[in-house]
Amino acid sequence: MTSEIDQASGQPTTGHEWDGIRELDTPVPRSMSLCMWVSIAASAVLWVLYPAFPFINDYTRGVLGYSSRTTVTQKVNQGNAARQAAFRIFADKTVTELAQIPDLKHRFGEAIGVLYRDNCSACHGRDLAGQANFPNLADAHWLWSGTPDDIELTLQHGINHSSEDTRYAEMPAFGRDGMLEKDEIAQAVEYVLSLSGSDHDTGLAEIGAGVFADSCAACHGDAGTGGLGNGAPSLADGAWIYGGSRDALHETLRHGRAGVMPGWANRLSPEEIRMLTLYVLWAGQDDKP
Amino acid sequence: MGTRHQKLERHSIAFTLVILCVASLGGLFEIAPLFTIENTVEKVDGMRPYTPLELAGRDIYVREGCYACHSQMIRTLKSDVDRYGHYSLAAESMYDHPHQWGSKRTGPDLARVGGKYSDAWHVAHLRSPREVVAGSVMPGYRFLSDQRLNTDILPASLRANQRVGVPYSAEQIEHASEDARWQADPEAGFEDVLTGRYGDKINIRDFDGQPTRVTEMDALVAYLQVLGTLVDFATLDAEDAAR
Repeated sequence: MTSEIDQASGQPTTGHEWDGIRELDTPVPRSMSLCMWVSIAASAVLWVLYPAFPFINDYTRGVLGYSSRTTVTQKVNQGNAARQAAFRIFADKTVTELAQIPDLKHRFGEAIGVLYRDNCSACHGRDLAGQANFPNLADAHWLWSGTPDDIELTLQHGINHSSEDTRYAEMPAFGRDGMLEKDEIAQAVEYVLSLSGSDHDTGLAEIGAGVFADSCAACHGDAGTGGLGNGAPSLADGAWIYGGSRDALHETLRHGRAGVMPGWANRLSPEEIRMLTLYVLWAGQDDKP
Repeated sequence: MGTRHQKLERHSIAFTLVILCVASLGGLFEIAPLFTIENTVEKVDGMRPYTPLELAGRDIYVREGCYACHSQMIRTLKSDVDRYGHYSLAAESMYDHPHQWGSKRTGPDLARVGGKYSDAWHVAHLRSPREVVAGSVMPGYRFLSDQRLNTDILPASLRANQRVGVPYSAEQIEHASEDARWQADPEAGFEDVLTGRYGDKINIRDFDGQPTRVTEMDALVAYLQVLGTLVDFATLDAEDAAR
Protein backbone atom coordinates (compact mmCIF):
# COMPACT_ATOMS: atom_id res chain seq x y z
CA MET A 1 0.00 0.00 0.00
CA THR A 2 1.55 3.24 -1.06
CA SER A 3 -0.09 6.62 -1.08
CA GLU A 4 -1.27 7.74 -4.42
CA ILE A 5 -2.95 10.81 -5.81
CA ASP A 6 -6.73 10.83 -5.82
CA GLN A 7 -8.00 11.54 -9.29
CA ALA A 8 -11.03 13.67 -8.38
CA SER A 9 -9.47 16.02 -5.79
CA GLY A 10 -5.82 15.84 -6.74
CA GLN A 11 -4.93 15.18 -3.08
CA PRO A 12 -2.78 12.27 -1.86
CA THR A 13 -4.51 9.39 -0.10
CA THR A 14 -3.38 7.59 3.04
CA GLY A 15 -2.79 4.42 1.09
CA HIS A 16 -5.31 2.43 3.14
CA GLU A 17 -8.08 0.75 1.26
CA TRP A 18 -11.26 -0.82 2.64
CA ASP A 19 -13.50 -2.58 0.16
CA GLY A 20 -12.35 -0.21 -2.55
CA ILE A 21 -12.85 2.90 -0.42
CA ARG A 22 -9.76 5.02 0.06
CA GLU A 23 -9.15 7.89 2.45
CA LEU A 24 -7.74 11.30 1.59
CA ASP A 25 -4.63 12.24 3.55
CA THR A 26 -5.73 15.60 4.99
CA PRO A 27 -3.26 16.68 7.70
CA VAL A 28 -4.07 19.21 10.44
CA PRO A 29 -3.58 22.70 8.97
CA ARG A 30 -0.04 23.96 9.33
CA SER A 31 -1.18 26.98 11.39
CA MET A 32 -2.82 24.68 13.92
CA SER A 33 0.14 22.38 14.34
CA LEU A 34 2.35 25.46 14.61
CA CYS A 35 0.14 26.68 17.49
CA MET A 36 0.67 23.38 19.25
CA TRP A 37 4.44 23.53 18.97
CA VAL A 38 4.49 27.17 20.12
CA SER A 39 2.35 26.25 23.16
CA ILE A 40 4.71 23.44 24.05
CA ALA A 41 7.69 25.77 23.73
CA ALA A 42 5.94 28.46 25.82
CA SER A 43 5.13 25.97 28.58
CA ALA A 44 8.78 24.96 28.67
CA VAL A 45 9.79 28.60 29.08
CA LEU A 46 7.17 29.18 31.81
CA TRP A 47 8.40 26.04 33.55
CA VAL A 48 11.82 27.63 33.80
CA LEU A 49 10.54 31.07 34.85
CA TYR A 50 7.82 30.18 37.38
CA PRO A 51 7.31 27.64 40.19
CA ALA A 52 6.34 24.42 38.45
CA PHE A 53 6.86 21.02 39.99
CA PRO A 54 7.20 19.61 43.52
CA PHE A 55 10.09 17.56 44.80
CA ILE A 56 10.33 15.69 48.07
CA ASN A 57 11.51 18.63 50.18
CA ASP A 58 11.07 21.59 47.90
CA TYR A 59 9.79 22.55 44.49
CA THR A 60 11.20 24.16 41.34
CA ARG A 61 11.02 27.83 42.28
CA GLY A 62 11.62 29.28 38.84
CA VAL A 63 14.17 31.84 37.72
CA LEU A 64 11.87 34.81 38.51
CA GLY A 65 11.35 33.66 42.11
CA TYR A 66 7.65 34.51 41.84
CA SER A 67 5.29 33.60 44.68
CA SER A 68 1.62 34.61 44.68
CA ARG A 69 1.64 34.69 48.48
CA THR A 70 4.64 37.02 48.69
CA THR A 71 3.10 39.20 46.01
CA VAL A 72 -0.26 39.54 47.75
CA THR A 73 1.44 40.19 51.09
CA GLN A 74 3.37 43.05 49.51
CA LYS A 75 0.24 44.49 47.94
CA VAL A 76 -1.73 44.22 51.16
CA ASN A 77 1.11 45.87 53.09
CA GLN A 78 1.23 48.70 50.56
CA GLY A 79 -2.53 49.13 50.89
CA ASN A 80 -2.26 49.15 54.67
CA ALA A 81 0.50 51.75 54.55
CA ALA A 82 -1.62 53.96 52.31
CA ARG A 83 -4.58 53.52 54.63
CA GLN A 84 -2.43 54.26 57.67
CA ALA A 85 -1.31 57.51 56.08
CA ALA A 86 -4.85 58.50 55.07
CA PHE A 87 -6.38 57.59 58.43
CA ARG A 88 -3.43 58.57 60.64
CA ILE A 89 -5.60 60.77 62.82
CA PHE A 90 -7.45 57.67 64.09
CA ALA A 91 -4.19 56.12 65.26
CA ASP A 92 -2.87 59.24 66.96
CA LYS A 93 -5.85 60.30 69.03
CA THR A 94 -8.11 58.61 71.54
CA VAL A 95 -11.69 58.11 70.58
CA THR A 96 -12.81 60.75 73.07
CA GLU A 97 -10.52 63.31 71.44
CA LEU A 98 -11.71 62.26 67.99
CA ALA A 99 -15.33 62.75 68.99
CA GLN A 100 -14.57 66.45 69.62
CA ILE A 101 -13.38 67.09 66.06
CA PRO A 102 -16.28 68.58 64.11
CA ASP A 103 -15.38 67.87 60.46
CA LEU A 104 -14.37 64.19 60.80
CA LYS A 105 -17.79 62.97 59.77
CA HIS A 106 -17.68 65.05 56.64
CA ARG A 107 -14.17 63.85 55.78
CA PHE A 108 -14.35 60.16 56.63
CA GLY A 109 -18.05 59.30 56.99
CA GLU A 110 -18.35 57.75 53.57
CA ALA A 111 -15.20 55.62 53.91
CA ILE A 112 -16.22 54.38 57.35
CA GLY A 113 -19.65 53.53 55.93
CA VAL A 114 -18.00 50.86 53.77
CA LEU A 115 -16.34 49.36 56.85
CA TYR A 116 -19.66 49.45 58.70
CA ARG A 117 -21.54 47.71 55.89
CA ASP A 118 -18.88 45.00 55.58
CA ASN A 119 -18.92 44.13 59.26
CA CYS A 120 -21.89 45.52 61.18
CA SER A 121 -24.87 45.93 58.88
CA ALA A 122 -25.78 42.23 58.80
CA CYS A 123 -27.19 42.61 62.31
CA HIS A 124 -27.73 46.33 62.85
CA GLY A 125 -28.98 47.12 59.34
CA ARG A 126 -27.51 49.37 56.69
CA ASP A 127 -29.20 52.41 58.26
CA LEU A 128 -28.05 51.47 61.81
CA ALA A 129 -31.70 51.24 62.84
CA GLY A 130 -31.36 47.63 63.93
CA GLN A 131 -33.85 44.88 63.14
CA ALA A 132 -35.75 42.19 64.98
CA ASN A 133 -33.48 40.81 67.76
CA PHE A 134 -30.69 43.31 67.05
CA PRO A 135 -30.65 46.75 68.67
CA ASN A 136 -31.01 50.13 67.02
CA LEU A 137 -27.78 52.15 67.04
CA ALA A 138 -29.28 55.32 65.66
CA ASP A 139 -31.75 56.20 68.41
CA ALA A 140 -30.85 58.19 71.51
CA HIS A 141 -31.12 55.25 73.90
CA TRP A 142 -28.02 53.32 75.01
CA LEU A 143 -28.06 49.88 76.59
CA TRP A 144 -24.67 50.45 78.17
CA SER A 145 -23.49 53.99 77.71
CA GLY A 146 -23.14 56.45 74.90
CA THR A 147 -19.69 57.74 75.79
CA PRO A 148 -17.04 57.17 73.11
CA ASP A 149 -14.90 55.09 75.49
CA ASP A 150 -17.73 52.75 76.36
CA ILE A 151 -18.83 52.26 72.76
CA GLU A 152 -15.23 51.48 71.85
CA LEU A 153 -15.06 48.89 74.62
CA THR A 154 -18.25 47.23 73.36
CA LEU A 155 -16.83 47.08 69.85
CA GLN A 156 -13.55 45.61 71.07
CA HIS A 157 -14.88 42.93 73.37
CA GLY A 158 -18.52 42.51 72.44
CA ILE A 159 -21.44 41.56 74.61
CA ASN A 160 -21.83 38.05 76.03
CA HIS A 161 -18.88 37.10 73.84
CA SER A 162 -16.05 34.68 74.55
CA SER A 163 -13.58 37.56 75.10
CA GLU A 164 -12.46 37.90 78.72
CA ASP A 165 -13.35 41.59 78.94
CA THR A 166 -16.72 41.23 77.29
CA ARG A 167 -19.80 42.97 78.63
CA TYR A 168 -22.16 40.56 80.25
CA ALA A 169 -25.92 40.93 80.37
CA GLU A 170 -28.64 38.36 80.57
CA MET A 171 -32.37 38.65 80.96
CA PRO A 172 -33.14 35.65 83.18
CA ALA A 173 -35.60 32.97 82.08
CA PHE A 174 -38.13 33.82 84.81
CA GLY A 175 -40.62 31.24 83.59
CA ARG A 176 -38.40 28.35 82.55
CA ASP A 177 -36.23 28.58 85.64
CA GLY A 178 -39.24 28.86 87.97
CA MET A 179 -38.49 32.33 89.33
CA LEU A 180 -41.98 33.61 88.57
CA GLU A 181 -45.33 31.82 88.36
CA LYS A 182 -47.37 31.90 85.17
CA ASP A 183 -49.89 34.43 86.50
CA GLU A 184 -47.11 36.66 87.84
CA ILE A 185 -45.58 36.71 84.37
CA ALA A 186 -48.94 37.67 82.85
CA GLN A 187 -49.25 40.50 85.39
CA ALA A 188 -45.73 41.75 84.80
CA VAL A 189 -46.30 41.68 81.02
CA GLU A 190 -49.41 43.86 81.35
CA TYR A 191 -47.48 46.30 83.52
CA VAL A 192 -44.61 46.47 81.02
CA LEU A 193 -47.14 47.08 78.22
CA SER A 194 -48.56 49.96 80.26
CA LEU A 195 -45.13 51.58 80.58
CA SER A 196 -44.95 52.38 76.88
CA GLY A 197 -48.65 53.25 76.64
CA SER A 198 -49.57 50.06 74.72
CA ASP A 199 -52.98 48.43 75.10
CA HIS A 200 -53.09 46.56 78.41
CA ASP A 201 -55.31 45.13 81.10
CA THR A 202 -55.28 47.81 83.82
CA GLY A 203 -56.33 45.45 86.58
CA LEU A 204 -53.51 42.97 85.91
CA ALA A 205 -51.05 45.80 85.32
CA GLU A 206 -51.72 47.18 88.80
CA ILE A 207 -50.76 43.88 90.40
CA GLY A 208 -47.90 43.60 87.89
CA ALA A 209 -46.36 46.79 89.24
CA GLY A 210 -45.51 44.88 92.41
CA VAL A 211 -43.99 41.98 90.49
CA PHE A 212 -41.99 44.47 88.46
CA ALA A 213 -40.66 46.25 91.55
CA ASP A 214 -39.55 42.93 93.06
CA SER A 215 -38.09 41.18 90.03
CA CYS A 216 -37.40 43.64 87.21
CA ALA A 217 -36.64 47.10 88.61
CA ALA A 218 -33.14 46.17 89.78
CA CYS A 219 -31.94 46.08 86.16
CA HIS A 220 -34.55 48.10 84.25
CA GLY A 221 -34.89 50.89 86.86
CA ASP A 222 -37.82 51.74 89.10
CA ALA A 223 -39.62 53.48 86.26
CA GLY A 224 -38.60 50.87 83.70
CA THR A 225 -36.65 53.45 81.73
CA GLY A 226 -33.35 51.52 81.74
CA GLY A 227 -30.25 53.63 81.27
CA LEU A 228 -28.43 52.06 84.24
CA GLY A 229 -25.51 51.04 82.02
CA ASN A 230 -26.03 47.33 82.64
CA GLY A 231 -27.40 46.33 79.25
CA ALA A 232 -31.03 46.36 80.37
CA PRO A 233 -33.09 48.43 77.90
CA SER A 234 -35.75 51.03 78.56
CA LEU A 235 -39.20 49.45 78.52
CA ALA A 236 -40.98 52.77 78.33
CA ASP A 237 -39.74 54.31 75.09
CA GLY A 238 -41.80 52.19 72.69
CA ALA A 239 -38.65 50.80 71.02
CA TRP A 240 -38.15 47.04 71.31
CA ILE A 241 -35.26 44.74 70.51
CA TYR A 242 -37.20 41.47 70.74
CA GLY A 243 -40.64 42.83 69.98
CA GLY A 244 -43.19 44.64 72.15
CA SER A 245 -46.24 42.49 71.49
CA ARG A 246 -47.88 40.60 74.35
CA ASP A 247 -46.66 37.30 72.85
CA ALA A 248 -43.09 38.52 72.44
CA LEU A 249 -43.00 39.80 76.04
CA HIS A 250 -44.33 36.48 77.34
CA GLU A 251 -41.61 34.71 75.37
CA THR A 252 -38.95 37.04 76.80
CA LEU A 253 -40.07 36.59 80.40
CA ARG A 254 -40.46 32.84 80.05
CA HIS A 255 -37.21 31.98 78.26
CA GLY A 256 -35.01 35.02 78.89
CA ARG A 257 -32.76 36.82 76.43
CA ALA A 258 -29.01 37.11 76.15
CA GLY A 259 -28.09 38.75 72.87
CA VAL A 260 -24.53 38.28 71.69
CA MET A 261 -22.40 40.90 70.03
CA PRO A 262 -19.04 39.51 68.79
CA GLY A 263 -15.86 41.22 69.96
CA TRP A 264 -13.92 42.74 67.07
CA ALA A 265 -10.47 43.21 68.60
CA ASN A 266 -9.14 40.14 66.77
CA ARG A 267 -10.74 40.95 63.45
CA LEU A 268 -10.37 44.74 63.07
CA SER A 269 -7.48 47.08 63.81
CA PRO A 270 -7.68 49.56 66.73
CA GLU A 271 -8.01 52.38 64.19
CA GLU A 272 -10.91 50.65 62.46
CA ILE A 273 -12.65 50.11 65.79
CA ARG A 274 -12.25 53.81 66.59
CA MET A 275 -13.70 54.74 63.20
CA LEU A 276 -16.72 52.52 63.75
CA THR A 277 -17.18 53.92 67.27
CA LEU A 278 -17.45 57.39 65.78
CA TYR A 279 -19.79 56.15 63.07
CA VAL A 280 -22.15 54.82 65.73
CA LEU A 281 -21.83 58.05 67.74
CA TRP A 282 -22.66 60.19 64.72
CA ALA A 283 -25.77 58.15 63.97
CA GLY A 284 -27.00 58.66 67.53
CA GLN A 285 -26.34 62.39 67.35
CA ASP A 286 -28.40 62.79 64.19
CA ASP A 287 -31.39 61.45 66.00
CA LYS A 288 -31.20 63.95 68.84
CA PRO A 289 -33.36 67.04 68.57
CA MET B 1 5.65 13.18 8.00
CA GLY B 2 3.15 10.75 6.61
CA THR B 3 5.73 8.05 6.09
CA ARG B 4 7.27 8.35 9.57
CA HIS B 5 3.86 7.94 11.10
CA GLN B 6 3.20 5.01 8.81
CA LYS B 7 6.31 3.25 10.02
CA LEU B 8 5.31 3.76 13.66
CA GLU B 9 1.78 2.56 13.07
CA ARG B 10 3.01 -0.67 11.60
CA HIS B 11 5.22 -1.67 14.54
CA SER B 12 2.58 -2.57 17.09
CA ILE B 13 4.98 -3.05 20.05
CA ALA B 14 6.82 0.19 19.43
CA PHE B 15 3.52 2.00 18.98
CA THR B 16 2.16 0.59 22.27
CA LEU B 17 5.32 1.67 24.08
CA VAL B 18 5.06 5.21 22.72
CA ILE B 19 1.38 5.43 23.73
CA LEU B 20 2.26 4.20 27.24
CA CYS B 21 5.03 6.74 27.49
CA VAL B 22 2.81 9.67 26.51
CA ALA B 23 -0.12 8.58 28.71
CA SER B 24 2.14 8.10 31.75
CA LEU B 25 3.33 11.70 31.40
CA GLY B 26 -0.23 12.83 32.14
CA GLY B 27 -0.32 10.48 35.11
CA LEU B 28 2.99 11.77 36.38
CA PHE B 29 1.80 15.35 36.49
CA GLU B 30 -1.40 14.41 38.30
CA ILE B 31 -0.05 11.88 40.74
CA ALA B 32 3.47 12.99 41.62
CA PRO B 33 2.38 16.11 43.60
CA LEU B 34 0.24 13.88 45.85
CA PHE B 35 3.38 12.15 47.09
CA THR B 36 4.81 15.47 48.27
CA ILE B 37 1.63 16.67 50.01
CA GLU B 38 3.35 16.55 53.41
CA ASN B 39 5.69 19.19 52.11
CA THR B 40 2.91 21.30 50.55
CA VAL B 41 0.86 21.65 53.74
CA GLU B 42 2.26 24.36 56.01
CA LYS B 43 3.24 23.53 59.59
CA VAL B 44 0.80 25.52 61.73
CA ASP B 45 -0.27 25.72 65.36
CA GLY B 46 -3.88 25.35 66.35
CA MET B 47 -5.38 23.16 63.62
CA ARG B 48 -7.36 20.27 65.04
CA PRO B 49 -9.84 17.81 63.52
CA TYR B 50 -13.48 18.90 63.68
CA THR B 51 -15.42 18.01 66.81
CA PRO B 52 -18.24 15.51 66.18
CA LEU B 53 -20.84 18.32 66.25
CA GLU B 54 -18.84 20.42 63.78
CA LEU B 55 -18.30 17.39 61.57
CA ALA B 56 -22.05 16.73 61.57
CA GLY B 57 -22.54 20.38 60.63
CA ARG B 58 -20.06 19.98 57.81
CA ASP B 59 -22.00 16.99 56.51
CA ILE B 60 -25.16 19.13 56.52
CA TYR B 61 -23.24 21.89 54.71
CA VAL B 62 -22.31 19.36 52.03
CA ARG B 63 -25.77 17.77 51.98
CA GLU B 64 -27.50 21.10 51.39
CA GLY B 65 -24.99 22.02 48.68
CA CYS B 66 -23.79 25.22 50.34
CA TYR B 67 -20.57 24.91 48.33
CA ALA B 68 -22.53 25.65 45.17
CA CYS B 69 -22.83 29.30 46.19
CA HIS B 70 -20.20 29.79 48.90
CA SER B 71 -16.46 29.28 48.54
CA GLN B 72 -14.14 28.55 51.44
CA MET B 73 -10.95 29.77 49.85
CA ILE B 74 -9.56 33.25 50.37
CA ARG B 75 -7.37 33.61 47.33
CA THR B 76 -4.02 35.37 47.14
CA LEU B 77 -5.57 38.54 45.77
CA LYS B 78 -5.50 41.89 47.53
CA SER B 79 -9.27 42.34 47.17
CA ASP B 80 -9.88 38.95 48.75
CA VAL B 81 -7.49 39.50 51.66
CA ASP B 82 -8.86 43.01 52.30
CA ARG B 83 -12.39 41.74 52.49
CA TYR B 84 -12.11 38.31 54.08
CA GLY B 85 -8.82 38.26 55.99
CA HIS B 86 -5.60 36.24 55.72
CA TYR B 87 -5.45 34.09 52.58
CA SER B 88 -6.41 30.47 53.13
CA LEU B 89 -3.63 28.02 53.96
CA ALA B 90 -3.45 24.45 52.75
CA ALA B 91 -3.27 23.43 56.40
CA GLU B 92 -6.71 24.88 57.01
CA SER B 93 -8.37 22.27 54.82
CA MET B 94 -6.12 19.35 55.64
CA TYR B 95 -8.87 17.66 57.68
CA ASP B 96 -11.55 18.32 55.05
CA HIS B 97 -12.59 15.27 53.05
CA PRO B 98 -13.50 16.55 50.56
CA HIS B 99 -12.42 20.19 50.87
CA GLN B 100 -15.09 22.86 50.42
CA TRP B 101 -13.01 25.39 48.47
CA GLY B 102 -15.75 25.82 45.89
CA SER B 103 -15.40 27.79 42.71
CA LYS B 104 -18.43 30.06 42.74
CA ARG B 105 -19.43 32.96 44.92
CA THR B 106 -23.10 33.74 44.63
CA GLY B 107 -22.79 34.41 48.36
CA PRO B 108 -19.68 35.55 50.21
CA ASP B 109 -16.65 33.41 51.00
CA LEU B 110 -17.06 31.60 54.32
CA ALA B 111 -13.47 30.55 55.03
CA ARG B 112 -13.24 32.96 58.00
CA VAL B 113 -16.87 33.52 58.88
CA GLY B 114 -16.35 31.91 62.32
CA GLY B 115 -16.96 34.44 65.12
CA LYS B 116 -17.98 37.24 62.78
CA TYR B 117 -21.67 37.01 63.66
CA SER B 118 -23.56 35.81 66.70
CA ASP B 119 -25.22 32.38 66.81
CA ALA B 120 -28.62 34.11 66.93
CA TRP B 121 -27.81 35.93 63.71
CA HIS B 122 -26.82 32.69 61.97
CA VAL B 123 -30.02 31.01 63.11
CA ALA B 124 -32.20 33.95 62.03
CA HIS B 125 -30.34 34.15 58.72
CA LEU B 126 -30.44 30.42 57.97
CA ARG B 127 -34.14 30.25 58.84
CA SER B 128 -35.12 33.21 56.73
CA PRO B 129 -32.25 35.03 54.98
CA ARG B 130 -34.25 38.02 53.76
CA GLU B 131 -35.39 38.90 57.26
CA VAL B 132 -31.86 39.96 58.17
CA VAL B 133 -30.25 40.63 54.79
CA ALA B 134 -32.48 42.56 52.43
CA GLY B 135 -32.19 41.43 48.82
CA SER B 136 -30.45 38.14 49.64
CA VAL B 137 -31.12 35.32 47.17
CA MET B 138 -30.22 32.56 49.61
CA PRO B 139 -32.91 29.95 50.22
CA GLY B 140 -34.25 29.50 53.76
CA TYR B 141 -33.35 26.42 55.81
CA ARG B 142 -36.05 26.70 58.48
CA PHE B 143 -36.37 22.93 58.79
CA LEU B 144 -32.88 22.61 60.26
CA SER B 145 -34.24 24.00 63.55
CA ASP B 146 -36.87 21.28 63.68
CA GLN B 147 -34.76 18.33 62.61
CA ARG B 148 -33.18 16.48 65.51
CA LEU B 149 -29.51 15.72 64.85
CA ASN B 150 -28.79 12.03 64.41
CA THR B 151 -25.84 11.63 66.76
CA ASP B 152 -25.81 7.82 66.53
CA ILE B 153 -23.95 7.83 63.24
CA LEU B 154 -21.16 10.09 64.47
CA PRO B 155 -18.70 7.40 65.65
CA ALA B 156 -18.91 5.84 62.17
CA SER B 157 -18.54 9.27 60.63
CA LEU B 158 -15.35 9.95 62.62
CA ARG B 159 -14.03 6.49 61.79
CA ALA B 160 -14.55 7.10 58.07
CA ASN B 161 -12.57 10.32 58.35
CA GLN B 162 -9.88 8.53 60.33
CA ARG B 163 -9.49 6.00 57.50
CA VAL B 164 -8.71 8.78 55.05
CA GLY B 165 -6.10 10.30 57.33
CA VAL B 166 -7.78 12.54 59.93
CA PRO B 167 -6.03 11.81 63.24
CA TYR B 168 -9.05 10.96 65.41
CA SER B 169 -8.14 8.94 68.48
CA ALA B 170 -9.99 5.79 69.53
CA GLU B 171 -11.32 7.75 72.51
CA GLN B 172 -12.68 10.55 70.32
CA ILE B 173 -14.42 8.02 68.08
CA GLU B 174 -15.88 6.09 70.99
CA HIS B 175 -17.40 9.18 72.63
CA ALA B 176 -18.44 11.01 69.45
CA SER B 177 -22.19 10.83 70.08
CA GLU B 178 -22.15 12.26 73.60
CA ASP B 179 -19.45 14.80 72.71
CA ALA B 180 -21.79 16.21 70.07
CA ARG B 181 -24.66 16.49 72.54
CA TRP B 182 -22.45 18.05 75.23
CA GLN B 183 -21.00 20.67 72.91
CA ALA B 184 -24.51 21.96 72.21
CA ASP B 185 -25.44 22.01 75.89
CA PRO B 186 -23.36 24.28 78.16
CA GLU B 187 -25.56 23.24 81.10
CA ALA B 188 -24.39 19.64 80.78
CA GLY B 189 -21.12 20.59 82.47
CA PHE B 190 -18.70 18.54 80.41
CA GLU B 191 -16.59 21.47 79.31
CA ASP B 192 -13.41 19.94 80.79
CA VAL B 193 -13.99 16.63 79.05
CA LEU B 194 -14.49 18.34 75.70
CA THR B 195 -11.49 20.67 76.01
CA GLY B 196 -9.47 17.65 77.13
CA ARG B 197 -10.36 15.84 73.94
CA TYR B 198 -10.37 18.73 71.45
CA GLY B 199 -8.33 21.55 73.00
CA ASP B 200 -9.27 25.04 74.16
CA LYS B 201 -10.58 26.30 70.86
CA ILE B 202 -13.98 24.74 71.12
CA ASN B 203 -17.26 26.63 71.33
CA ILE B 204 -19.56 25.03 73.86
CA ARG B 205 -22.90 26.75 73.46
CA ASP B 206 -26.55 26.19 72.76
CA PHE B 207 -26.12 27.29 69.17
CA ASP B 208 -29.73 27.20 67.97
CA GLY B 209 -31.46 28.82 70.95
CA GLN B 210 -33.37 25.62 71.79
CA PRO B 211 -31.72 24.43 75.01
CA THR B 212 -33.67 21.19 75.28
CA ARG B 213 -32.59 19.49 72.10
CA VAL B 214 -29.74 19.10 69.65
CA THR B 215 -30.83 19.93 66.13
CA GLU B 216 -29.18 20.06 62.74
CA MET B 217 -29.19 23.84 63.18
CA ASP B 218 -26.93 23.40 66.25
CA ALA B 219 -24.50 21.36 64.16
CA LEU B 220 -24.42 23.68 61.16
CA VAL B 221 -23.95 26.83 63.27
CA ALA B 222 -21.23 25.11 65.32
CA TYR B 223 -19.45 24.31 62.05
CA LEU B 224 -19.81 27.84 60.66
CA GLN B 225 -18.58 29.37 63.93
CA VAL B 226 -15.30 27.42 63.85
CA LEU B 227 -14.42 28.16 60.21
CA GLY B 228 -11.10 29.96 59.90
CA THR B 229 -10.65 30.42 63.65
CA LEU B 230 -8.24 27.59 64.44
CA VAL B 231 -4.86 28.53 62.99
CA ASP B 232 -2.71 30.69 65.23
CA PHE B 233 -1.34 33.21 62.75
CA ALA B 234 0.92 34.82 65.35
CA THR B 235 3.16 31.74 65.38
CA LEU B 236 3.03 31.09 61.65
CA ASP B 237 6.46 30.95 60.06
CA ALA B 238 6.60 33.68 57.40
CA GLU B 239 8.80 31.64 55.07
CA ASP B 240 6.47 28.66 55.33
CA ALA B 241 3.38 30.81 54.78
CA ALA B 242 4.89 32.53 51.75
CA ARG B 243 5.24 29.34 49.72
